[in-house]
Amino acid sequence: MDIGTLQAYAYFFFVAFLVVVLYSYIYHLYSSQWKGKRDYEKYGNIALHDEITDQPIETISKNDDKKVGGINE
Amino acid sequence: MFHWLEKHPFFFAVAVFLTIAFAGLIEILPNFAQASQPTVGTKPYTTLELAGRHVYIKNNCMGCHSQLIRPFKSETDRYGHYSLSGEYAYDRPFLWGSKRTGPDLMRVGNYRTTDWHENHMKDPAAVVPGSIMPAYRWMFKNAADIDTAYAEQVTVNKVFNTPYNAEIPMADGTKATVPLAATLDEAKAAALEEAKVIAADMKDQDVKDAVAAGQVPEIVAMIAYLNSLK
Amino acid sequence: MENRPLEYDYTVAKWFMLTTVVLGIVGMLVGVILAWQMAFPAVNLMAGEGLAEYTNFSRLRPLHTDSVIFGFTLSGIWATWYYVGQRVLKVSMAESKFLMVLAKLHFFIYLLVVVAVVGSLLLGISTGKEYADFEWPIDIAVVVVWVIWGMSIFGLIGIRREKSLYISIWYYIATFLGIAMLYLFNNMEIPTYFASGGIGAWYHSVSMYSGTNDALVQWWYGHNAVAFGFTVPIVAMIYYFLPKESGQAVYSYKLSLLAFWGLMFVYLWAGGHHLIYSTVPDWMQTMGSVFSVVLILPSWGSAINMLLTMKGEWQQVASSPLIKFMILASTFYMFSTLEGPIQAIKSVNALAHFTDWIVGHVHDGVLGWVAFMIMAALFHMAPRVYKREIYSKSLMNTQFWIQTLGVVLYFTSMWIAGITQGMMWRAHDEFGNLAYSFIDTVTVLHPYYTIRAVGGTLYLVGMFLFAYNMYKTMTSSRRVEESELQNASPMGA
Repeated sequence: MDIGTLQAYAYFFFVAFLVVVLYSYIYHLYSSQWKGKRDYEKYGNIALHDEITDQPIETISKNDDKKVGGINE
Repeated sequence: MFHWLEKHPFFFAVAVFLTIAFAGLIEILPNFAQASQPTVGTKPYTTLELAGRHVYIKNNCMGCHSQLIRPFKSETDRYGHYSLSGEYAYDRPFLWGSKRTGPDLMRVGNYRTTDWHENHMKDPAAVVPGSIMPAYRWMFKNAADIDTAYAEQVTVNKVFNTPYNAEIPMADGTKATVPLAATLDEAKAAALEEAKVIAADMKDQDVKDAVAAGQVPEIVAMIAYLNSLK
Repeated sequence: MENRPLEYDYTVAKWFMLTTVVLGIVGMLVGVILAWQMAFPAVNLMAGEGLAEYTNFSRLRPLHTDSVIFGFTLSGIWATWYYVGQRVLKVSMAESKFLMVLAKLHFFIYLLVVVAVVGSLLLGISTGKEYADFEWPIDIAVVVVWVIWGMSIFGLIGIRREKSLYISIWYYIATFLGIAMLYLFNNMEIPTYFASGGIGAWYHSVSMYSGTNDALVQWWYGHNAVAFGFTVPIVAMIYYFLPKESGQAVYSYKLSLLAFWGLMFVYLWAGGHHLIYSTVPDWMQTMGSVFSVVLILPSWGSAINMLLTMKGEWQQVASSPLIKFMILASTFYMFSTLEGPIQAIKSVNALAHFTDWIVGHVHDGVLGWVAFMIMAALFHMAPRVYKREIYSKSLMNTQFWIQTLGVVLYFTSMWIAGITQGMMWRAHDEFGNLAYSFIDTVTVLHPYYTIRAVGGTLYLVGMFLFAYNMYKTMTSSRRVEESELQNASPMGA
């Protein structure tokens, strides 16, 4: 298989994969709203209530995953 | 999974990076495996031509002039054969430009001469009435940087195996060789010899005097470069 | 955690606001000079024959592009980052000495880079690649600045109180990553001084890539420098400033998230459209074309989201010049993200490439979208960082209309110029010969170049009004209380 064919296959499968991911993301966004798990729209308020004295929309609590991506000590 | 990603800035960043790196990975990297092959007849630049190329870049000529002939009749009529990928094999950087305020220069060496360039660079509007190109009179005074041009030749020869001192097949079946001087002094002497040929076709007395005194004004290098564009 | 300091620390944001205004004026002033030079070439000698080398079009042109991109826009991005970042993460810079020192270092190294860039471009020291003109010593300094900014972003995120990252932060992260990747790969170069054992100019370098490959990397960079410098961070701004100023949460937060991923994936493919009909492989040109058209979707996703955010609140557009700036910005965003894909269609590109239409496209994007949004952001920030009301609302309105007129003159004249020139280049007479010599296609553009120069000058006048308004706001405007700063920014008459 030459490099061009390889390129074409890699391209096709990655695009297909990303399309699936994107659609399942859309599904995830809406389904978590229907199921009442999480309403994404509330995050829009982060911009509106952004004084340092305002209550965060979601607080980082101590027992809720301690190492946030290895960045948050 | 998605929500997890949104809460973990580091992995989120990784995901973003993978998404944006994908295009480059597929589009660009494989092409480098097959490094661009020079077309038959494409030679690396001589020291003087390369110094001229640096003058071209220094004055940002590519801001107004392209070096890319597209495969349309109107373009091939006006500028000559359309560009081939291999013709650019020794162009570091490429100088295709993105705007044609002035005409394309890809093959300007085929239809313009040394004295045309000399007059034109001094006063473009006198040669081409209505031209909006500024004059480049300082090129007649500034000295070209032969040292840096030679340093670049040595570098591309060493790092990218640009074929200096090697036989290069020409279109007519013969072989040509572009020499690379062994020392800086030799390179300067060779560039001066080339410069003398150009200066012989020029009228500007200051330029002639400078070349006779062993200097190479920018304009001479520039014209050598423009003449090499074929 | 409980011993919270009371305030956000805007020290560094203020500094970057200053450089935004100053470098904006410099960049646009040089741009206006260039525009007049194209209409009247005598302007090339404005400082006399002796200085002609430094005042002529070709030497000034990179100074214009680079000071608008890396001066005005980058400063604007950083000014807003050091403002928005703290607020949506609900953490003050004052809480971390380390981040504060980093931010100050960020600013001062940036200043040094600016000085080095201006000097080297005037001297003609350039790698020859558009928007990547800097030679290797400056490239290294740029990388240092960028790494510091990255540390600042992730450092601030690390000590945040707000668990979720607001959409603007997503876009800032993408800006950071995107430019880092593009800049590094496009500026791969070998210093000739070291490779040749100490011959020639020490700052000179030669590109790692040659010819067609170099072009491919350059436009993968060039186009996406636009993506990650002129689109992504500006979208970050509008997602924060428009909701905040209008008091309306983003119309659909879900749509904003989707548009984000869409943009991230699609944008990088579009670079190939700069190389249509060139010597890069055909399939890449086609890919560039196709993806450029697909790109309309995520771009419009964001822009429509912004317009819908104003649903039911359109009276604010009439009453607040600040909202006007932002709505016009997102309208221009829609406009130029429609225009761009049209130009990327192969047959249109055959006509438009190399002409002034492209110049027009860049400028309706940058003047209409980027600059309007950055100025709106600075107007919104000024009362909050200086604790004074915006000096004059009527001046803002005047500026808005002058600049809008300027942009309209600019892009309409460039459309006509570009299409005229493109048509004339390809025109053949009845015998199949070229109908026009090249110079015919230059002289015909004179009126349009003049109109463009007038448009540009109007925009520059607006910039001066902006600078004056900001200066007065900073120094002598009425002081305001925290309570006045909730949503709509306080403005003096």
